[in-house]
Amino acid sequence: MAVEELQSIIKRCQILEEEDFKEEDFGLFQLAGQKCIDEGHIDQLLEIIQNEKNRLIVWNMGWNLVGPVVRCLLWNDKEEDKKKHYFLMLDLLVKLCNPKELLLGLLELIEEPSGKQISQIIILLLPPLHTVIQKLHNNKAYSVGLALSTLWNQLSLLPVPYSREQMQADEYGLGQCCKALIEFTKPFVEEVTDAKENSVENDMLREELLKFCFKSLKYPLLTAQFHEQPEEVGSDPLRCFASEIIGFLSAIGDPFFKMILNYGKKKRIWRPLEFEEEEDKQLADTMASLAYLVFVQGISMDELPLVLSPLYLLKFNMGHVDVFLQRTEESVYSKGLDLLENGLLRIEDNHLPHQYLEIKSFLTVPQGLVKVMTLCPIEILRRKGLTMLQLYINKLASQGKYTLFRCLLNTSNHSGVEAFIIQNIKTQIDVSLKRPQTDKWFTGPQLVSLLDLVLVLPEGAETDLLQNSDRRVTNNWNSPVGAQPAFIRAHKMCKIMASLNLLRYLIIKDNENDNQTGLWTELGKIENNFLKPLHTGLNMSKAHYEAEIKNSQENSNEVQKSKDICSVTVCGEEIPSMPPEMQLKVLHSALFTFDLIESVLARVEELIEIKTKSTSEENTAMK
Amino acid sequence: MVLQNNGREVIKREGTGTEMPMIGDRVFVHYTGWLLDGTKFDSSLDRKDKFSFDLGKGEVIKAWDIAVATMKVGEVCHITCKPEYAYGLAGSPPKIPSNATLVFEVELFEFKGEDLTEEEDGGIIRRIRTRGEGYARPNEGAIVEVVLEGYYKDRMFDQRELQFEIGDGENLDLPCGLEKTIQRMEKGERAIVYLKPSYAFGNVGKEKFHIPPQAELKYEIHLKNFEKAKESWEMNLEEKLEQSAIVKERGTVYFKEGKYKQAVLQYKKIVSWLEYESSLSGEVTQKAQALRLASHLNLAMCHLRLQAFPAATESCNKALELDSNNEKGLFRRGEAHLAVNDFELAQADFQKVLQLYPSNKAARAQLAICQQRIRNQLAREKKLYANMFERLAEEDSKAKAGIASGDRNLDAEMKDEQNGMAGSQSQVEPEP
Repeated sequence: MAVEELQSIIKRCQILEEEDFKEEDFGLFQLAGQKCIDEGHIDQLLEIIQNEKNRLIVWNMGWNLVGPVVRCLLWNDKEEDKKKHYFLMLDLLVKLCNPKELLLGLLELIEEPSGKQISQIIILLLPPLHTVIQKLHNNKAYSVGLALSTLWNQLSLLPVPYSREQMQADEYGLGQCCKALIEFTKPFVEEVTDAKENSVENDMLREELLKFCFKSLKYPLLTAQFHEQPEEVGSDPLRCFASEIIGFLSAIGDPFFKMILNYGKKKRIWRPLEFEEEEDKQLADTMASLAYLVFVQGISMDELPLVLSPLYLLKFNMGHVDVFLQRTEESVYSKGLDLLENGLLRIEDNHLPHQYLEIKSFLTVPQGLVKVMTLCPIEILRRKGLTMLQLYINKLASQGKYTLFRCLLNTSNHSGVEAFIIQNIKTQIDVSLKRPQTDKWFTGPQLVSLLDLVLVLPEGAETDLLQNSDRRVTNNWNSPVGAQPAFIRAHKMCKIMASLNLLRYLIIKDNENDNQTGLWTELGKIENNFLKPLHTGLNMSKAHYEAEIKNSQENSNEVQKSKDICSVTVCGEEIPSMPPEMQLKVLHSALFTFDLIESVLARVEELIEIKTKSTSEENTAMK
Repeated sequence: MVLQNNGREVIKREGTGTEMPMIGDRVFVHYTGWLLDGTKFDSSLDRKDKFSFDLGKGEVIKAWDIAVATMKVGEVCHITCKPEYAYGLAGSPPKIPSNATLVFEVELFEFKGEDLTEEEDGGIIRRIRTRGEGYARPNEGAIVEVVLEGYYKDRMFDQRELQFEIGDGENLDLPCGLEKTIQRMEKGERAIVYLKPSYAFGNVGKEKFHIPPQAELKYEIHLKNFEKAKESWEMNLEEKLEQSAIVKERGTVYFKEGKYKQAVLQYKKIVSWLEYESSLSGEVTQKAQALRLASHLNLAMCHLRLQAFPAATESCNKALELDSNNEKGLFRRGEAHLAVNDFELAQADFQKVLQLYPSNKAARAQLAICQQRIRNQLAREKKLYANMFERLAEEDSKAKAGIASGDRNLDAEMKDEQNGMAGSQSQVEPEP
């Protein structure tokens, strides 16, 4: 039936000229052809298509059959034998139909599916797509550009695998697609590089290819994970994709290091490249991705001129690190941390001049690290963030350290981070006092001005001590277990404890007569702003908690029988419901914290007394 | 030629040029680098293009910045770089080991001044004589202090030392290209800049300087200092003092223009920067104290002008905390008190001024006003009380009407007082 129908349409059309084909003919041809395919009359259909008499008809109308054939190939689980026929049919159509129509037809087909079928159809249609484009002589650059952007748009709907297992399983076929895309693109790249002279057409093709390379750096390469296992490097499809893309960039564009170095410096180089969305942001992501691949993954690293100074490399990579840390995906954070490490390790300790902190990213990156350290849900990354912050501090020269400490004390708003900084300040004072010539930034007036930020209770005696010393009670109950970085739990006393320890250290190390640190002239102020309010605060808090414990015990006695849970209010904030035993434990440990602080405080005051006494005795003896 | 301690430079082929590149110039070279054992680790000859970089900006290892600055176009030389002038202890893995001495052969092909235009049309070419410090540069709207000399065909047509706001250059007869250049300079930098007409005085020229239309100009600029957009904690004490001086100047400009609110913001900045820097020593303390005192006094005056009298009193109190006998502090507090009809307090302040500074005529006049007001008030109160007793005998409704009319009188009087005050203020100038 179907074959006859088709035959009759063809017979009618055979006598017509090309321009006389009517719209309804196209429709009828497609309908009948589809029917033939559905009913399995492939052989006859093949015959019709190959018939020289039908050349004109197939040229004009044949592309309508591509869709049905492709659908059969993909979604119907047919026997191998039939599949062979479908393939043959597809080849024939590609060979005999008008390439202009075919190009659009194929791209429409590529745009059609979703989910796991996206990659299947891309892999199936890339070779015919390539043949069709090669047959189009006019406007090739446009066709290549259209094809690449359609492919990229579809591809970018696929999730990028994160774990090694996901990568190997390649459930959505992203890895395979990337491989196929490289094969698809390579001949065009070669065409551009092999061209003997520059033509407009060639320049346009180059531009389209560059655009594709840049987009690929953003997706999938920006979020792609590269697992560092040297033996796997060759088999990791995304890594191969990355190195091919960078190879393309180098072949058809400027040397890529020139792109990296010129980024942000000169606008003109980028002007030919148009990006759809907010251009600058797009480019920033792309360049950060490129920098990571080159510096951390070592792709095409050989091309980097070995005369560039380490500080310069750090300077422009810092901007990229900033881009990475501003994003929200964990896989991207980790790239930022790796790139930062790579840049810092090139520099000797204490050799990063303070002037670099005038470059915006040199202050935003450490703040980004604080964000990772305190908020990132993955422990390894929190730890790495902390390690990187310490590494960064170590690299800075002393004035830079000083400025950074001030910055973080002012901006971090996190007791644990502040304690970490205070610990670092102590280390620097220690280093400075041990040197034959003390460091201007960690002794005397400069140090005193820094200590003003440390030895103070921000709200006097009303300061919520637990909040400032340890966030266990109020915070850890609200957040899932393990959401606080490890070091915060290690430094249970956090800021206040660290401050007291620093003060104790200063009193022991420095004598009133030497007064190298400037502490002894400031003692009155420290007593008023810090020690006295701390005393009052401790007494108030202890009384409050003791009362709570009493309350809680009474409550739990009543409640225990019914096994109910009750709530407690601490610092005006209700502790989320928890079993009474737990509550008691929390309250007791808070009291314990206060006792600890109190004992250190007592020790500090005792030391002050001893030291001032001995100094005055010394002074009288000298007289 | 031997460079001090950093390595040697041996000229293999003399250059043909006469000039040497300047800091900031873009230089184009080919090079090959070897380790001491003869291993070649890199060569630009293996790549498509010449290697180019901005000289003297720390983009390349130190030895290069020093050595290339002494080369002429066409010259080929060998540079031996000690590790501390190359990649030092860290090396540059994998190719350059730790503590490696490097040998380069470098050929200089070309150098050119840095093009500062967006379009790279050669309209603004800068060459740096002395590099500035740090990386901060003046933003749009920042106050800058510059020394400049303008040349047209070797004739100096302009020579000035200026303090102005970036964006305001046109009013000062500065070409736009010059402002663009300043925004790319660092503190202390000295540079020469070549301007094409479209970045200079264009089709019109500048009659004042006898510059014809379509003239290319050259300027020598020294950026002495500028206002940095920095957070308080980014600055150390010296920087805070330096920046305070600039900001204060800006506040004064605003004040003179009658932009009191903007002026307040400037002075508040100074106060916030210096407020907690209490532990300064010696000379620095005095400077900081003086700046704080001046800021509080100027704030007081701005608040008076804005008729924010409680804020004015507050600022005076802060100033008097620093210097309890300050003439202006006492006087302005007196004015603020007077404005809100605190006559006794005002009287006390003016009396103290006169006691300490007997020649202060303004204070004498204000005191007289005070005393007049106090007498008026007493008289009014007397009348009011007298009326009250009378009214007690009268009916309620009439009493209410009487009080209401009394209120109206009070309002009117207050307006008079304010007018009177504005007159007395005009003689006060902001703190120098």
